[in-house]
Amino acid sequence: MSDSEDIKIKAEHETIADGDQSQDEEMKEILKITSLKSLGPFIASQENSQNTVYLSDVPAVCKEKPCMLGVDEAGRGPVLGPMVYGISYCPVESKQALIDLGCADSKQLTEEKRDIIFNEINTLEYANSCMGWAVEIISPNVISTSMYRRAKCSLNEVSMESAMGLIQRAIDAGVNIAEVYVDTVGPPEKYQEKLMRRFPSFKITVAKKADSTYPIVSAASICAKVTRDHALKVWRFPEGLVIKDNAFGSGYPGDPVTKRFLTENIDLVFGFPRLVRFSWSTAENALADKAYDMEFDEPETEKPKYAGTKLTKFFKGTTKEGEVIREECRFLKQRHLSSVHEF
Amino acid sequence: MSITLDFNGKNLAKSKTLNLHFLPAKVNGDGNANVETYFNNYTHEAPEYGSGVVTNALRGYPLVGNRMQVPEGYKGIVLQETEKPLSESTDRQLRLTGVFDEFTYWNYDKVPSNGDPYRQALLMADVAQALSEPISEEDLETEIKRNRESKKENSS
Repeated sequence: MSDSEDIKIKAEHETIADGDQSQDEEMKEILKITSLKSLGPFIASQENSQNTVYLSDVPAVCKEKPCMLGVDEAGRGPVLGPMVYGISYCPVESKQALIDLGCADSKQLTEEKRDIIFNEINTLEYANSCMGWAVEIISPNVISTSMYRRAKCSLNEVSMESAMGLIQRAIDAGVNIAEVYVDTVGPPEKYQEKLMRRFPSFKITVAKKADSTYPIVSAASICAKVTRDHALKVWRFPEGLVIKDNAFGSGYPGDPVTKRFLTENIDLVFGFPRLVRFSWSTAENALADKAYDMEFDEPETEKPKYAGTKLTKFFKGTTKEGEVIREECRFLKQRHLSSVHEF
Repeated sequence: MSITLDFNGKNLAKSKTLNLHFLPAKVNGDGNANVETYFNNYTHEAPEYGSGVVTNALRGYPLVGNRMQVPEGYKGIVLQETEKPLSESTDRQLRLTGVFDEFTYWNYDKVPSNGDPYRQALLMADVAQALSEPISEEDLETEIKRNRESKKENSS
């Protein structure tokens, strides 16, 4: 790639980061991501308190030839912003195209380099004629509410559901999947077992750092990471907050910019804007100190034990003065009614 | 102690209608809340849970709710007290802030149903009505007659 092209992409990058200039584009709904430039506006046109799924077009060749499919995620740890799951796929025989694109360990790549590769995946003929991709943007609002369900749903479960959902969508779109490669941070065995049960006909490999071993996972990782970065850049606060350049740091709890954002944007009643994952201990601790105390109607953890009427019950009928204690009427008690005033 | 309600039918009719939420949480604080931007903005319809059901979240806790009407024959009013009473015997004065005929009821991660404490408690409205309804001479006669007859049946 020539330097001039490189500069052009950087310039595009800046307009996206700017936000205001791309406003016109955001007004009409963007249905297709055809380059890096349309990614930001697409994300901005979606509601950020709910999940968003995007699937690229499926190249004809991926419907015929057996394909490999890579799965990776971005933004698992941060207290801010969405977590993004990404998949990418191409025929097993097209592996060279991935290497030519530069799909390698995405954490080793700079943000700019990732943006360039993402743009090429979508624009260069040799790439978009043989590979496709999809992402799910899991809203921080959904992460919080899933983890705070009565029957708690861990982040791992949310992740696995998202990964399997994306694979299913690729199947439904007609991708002829033969092999699946998944990057994981947790223990691979359990994850692999679960995937194999759901998709028994595929050859499934779940591995730590698959991102750096398998180029197809690197490609998925790049799609996920670029999407996550852009989601933060174009984040609009329905709460009406305006943060200059959306500078809230990396979102990692240790980042001083993120820390400042968290301490400076507390609403006494509602806590944080929903960019924040409330279920993170960093967020919980910040609220415990600064916001109003809030007690929820928590699930009943213990069932009352029933061991028959206690014998001592019959001696408890009066107060010390000999007044009869009347038990509350069952009708009222069962309906959660009690008198607030003595007559 | 006496409680004065500082309003009459006239300003009740003129008073503004409030948009209220019944939350499944106790907020230990008092003050204005940015309900419009931090909460109402995020209310979504959730037909998968039933018609009229809506979802939202409070501090990350999932909420499921629906619109509720104030029971027939009742009026919802919000009263405010500027000074907290120092003792039980102090006279209190409550000021009218606004009125409401409906509000949004929210449960923590549970679709609203007749099992909710709020709806159970509201049965009291029906019971109270039945208890305070005037009984006519005629009704009394029929009831006595019926009683007598059932006694007879039991003894024979």
